[in-house]
Amino acid sequence: MIAQNIAFWIIAVVMAAAAVRVVTSRNLVHAALFLITVLIGASAQFIILLAEFVGVTQFFLYVGAVAVLFLFGIIVTRAPMQPADYDNDQRWPALAVSLLLLGVLVALLIDAFGHQEIELSDDLLAIGRSDAVGNSLFRTFVVPFEVVSMLLLAALIGAVAIARRD
Amino acid sequence: MNPVFDYHALAPELVLSGAIVVVLVADLLFPDREGLQTSRLASLGILVALVPVLTLAIDGADRSLFGGGFVVDDYAIALKAFFLLVAYVTVLVSADYVGEGDYYKGEFYFLLMSSVLGMLAMTSARDLISIFVALELISIPTFVLAGWRKHDTKSNEAAIKYYLIGVLSSAVMLYGMSLIYGLSGGKVLLADIGKFAAAGDAPPLFAVAIFLTLVGFAFKVSAVPFHFWAPDTYEGSPTPVTAFLSVASKAGGFVAILSIIYFGFFEADESWQPVLWALAAASMTVGNLTALRQTNIVRMLAYSSVAQGGFILVPLAVAQDAPRASFEAVVIYLFIYGAMNLGAFAVVIAVARRTRSGEIESYAGLGQTAPVLGILMSAFLLSLAGIPPLAGWFAKFVMFRAVFEAGGAGAVTLGVIAAVNSVIAFFYYAGVARRIWFEDPAAELAGPARVPAALTVALAMSAAVVLVIGVYPQLFARVGELAVPL
Amino acid sequence: MALNQFLILSAFLFCTGVYGVLARRNGVLVLMSVELMLNAVNINLVAFSAFVRDVGGQIFALFVITIAAAEVGVGLAIVLLIYRNLDSPDLDRVDQLKG
Repeated sequence: MIAQNIAFWIIAVVMAAAAVRVVTSRNLVHAALFLITVLIGASAQFIILLAEFVGVTQFFLYVGAVAVLFLFGIIVTRAPMQPADYDNDQRWPALAVSLLLLGVLVALLIDAFGHQEIELSDDLLAIGRSDAVGNSLFRTFVVPFEVVSMLLLAALIGAVAIARRD
Repeated sequence: MNPVFDYHALAPELVLSGAIVVVLVADLLFPDREGLQTSRLASLGILVALVPVLTLAIDGADRSLFGGGFVVDDYAIALKAFFLLVAYVTVLVSADYVGEGDYYKGEFYFLLMSSVLGMLAMTSARDLISIFVALELISIPTFVLAGWRKHDTKSNEAAIKYYLIGVLSSAVMLYGMSLIYGLSGGKVLLADIGKFAAAGDAPPLFAVAIFLTLVGFAFKVSAVPFHFWAPDTYEGSPTPVTAFLSVASKAGGFVAILSIIYFGFFEADESWQPVLWALAAASMTVGNLTALRQTNIVRMLAYSSVAQGGFILVPLAVAQDAPRASFEAVVIYLFIYGAMNLGAFAVVIAVARRTRSGEIESYAGLGQTAPVLGILMSAFLLSLAGIPPLAGWFAKFVMFRAVFEAGGAGAVTLGVIAAVNSVIAFFYYAGVARRIWFEDPAAELAGPARVPAALTVALAMSAAVVLVIGVYPQLFARVGELAVPL
Repeated sequence: MALNQFLILSAFLFCTGVYGVLARRNGVLVLMSVELMLNAVNINLVAFSAFVRDVGGQIFALFVITIAAAEVGVGLAIVLLIYRNLDSPDLDRVDQLKG
């Protein structure tokens, strides 16, 4: 338990710092790399929570596909590699809004889940295994699963149709 | 133990999926071949998908699949029929617009039908995951369709604004849903969440979770103050897509709100009632006041649809005190709004074919140059304003009936706001009608208007619905009564 | 481990994302901020799933991951289209229509 806790805090601090850099960085490529750091961190947190299948999927899909897509987007739009100002003039109101939201959420989360503990044990590992996930996915959530398949096809064809040069 | 599949319950979605694949493949195999236009194929596919909806309606039994996550009841069937009819009319109004431009035709109908598939799935979705997935299938194809005029920077802007608002609203909605999942002890089924809400021992965080979820939906239905993207997106998108966005995609959002409120949050009314009340009042007022100032017909209709969205939210905001009447009012309002708004957009498309203009000025003298279009446009606009004997009055009537049944200070105040807004709305709708009949046309537009066959059918269908419901509302009121699942 | 340590990390990521959405004007950077928010959602879902011992949250997270990937694909296609027409992915330059 202690080892997982130490791992959590190290990863959490890295994630938080990287997340802040994503929204403040003055360089597009750096922002993308910081985003990848957050995504890998989240994947590690899922492994700590013994959700192995989700953790691995997060890693492959986000780090493998989404992050590469972002970098690809940055390359093809020939974004400048040198720092540039990407912020609008609402920085201070934005900061106020998000800090207020954070304060409210943290206060209410502590109120709602103050002393609750997650017990990491073997039965939790069984829940996150791919056979359990697959069973639930194809028994209970088969309609959304099929809907997602159509959604991916639509997204693919839509993206090609709109990005194609003609 | 193999899961037992009730194919009949899933038949509308399955048939439409099949039709979608057929459209895609046919477009690939027979590009631009005469006699096999993708628009005809698409409209045929949509009509075929209506057949299982009818057989399900005749059968009448409620079906619940996959542990209650997918339900086919009268409410779902009625709205499936609504979405398929709207899709059919949208294909009709798109046919010549898309056919004459340099657009990808097959892909256009493919994306349109995919979005409709999401709407069908939404009507039956009874858990958070299904609702989320269906909402995304509704939205993602429309992001692309909004930018379909690729070389027009206005259309590009419409797409990026709609897209960014869409993904942002999904993220906010999902954060709310994730909190609901945790607070309710790991429930995704709306029925289970309903039991949790009814128990009444939820911490204040539950109210925040409901608020965030509703904010996500408020973006989708462009309720004030989350409406700012709608006029730009509506103006920049190709007009048939605008018609689709303002009717079908908006109705999809309302169906989601209806399901999640009635089957999930219902007993936690102190959390959602004030939110919906404020959204309804703000949408009606801001939408109507801004519509008054518009000079472009599509922007005017965009703000008008924001205001109409507010009217649809009114019964939802009093749902706790008049559950049956409110549910009926929302369903009936959606049906009638669909017919009159699609009709208005069909006229806009027909007029723009000749004048190449979206300005309200270009409607001057339409009554002289194209009397039929003039009559139809006046009818749709006056129906939107709620003037009897056109269908719009019945929509307003059921809305006010729900308000009066609910009673109470909050409901009555909202009813007064709605009444004042109905009067304000009359001015801008009637303003366009006045130009049509009492102003002289610009000289160069003297020639007769030619309206293509598909567009004529779309206009006739919308006009028929608006007239028949307006004159014989009792025929239609039955649909609303049947749809109530309580 | 405390449930709240995950939830507060998630709340922090969510609010950082909100700040990014409000303060950034480049389309790609706004999209990255939305991705932060979606990751916050996933951490919430998986933490709750472990807390209540229910697989539903993990399934939900899988759907969120998949759909986020589809959204990013479509979004970058739109950004590419705009870049081609305007020679800039900045949101401020895309401002012909005023709402």
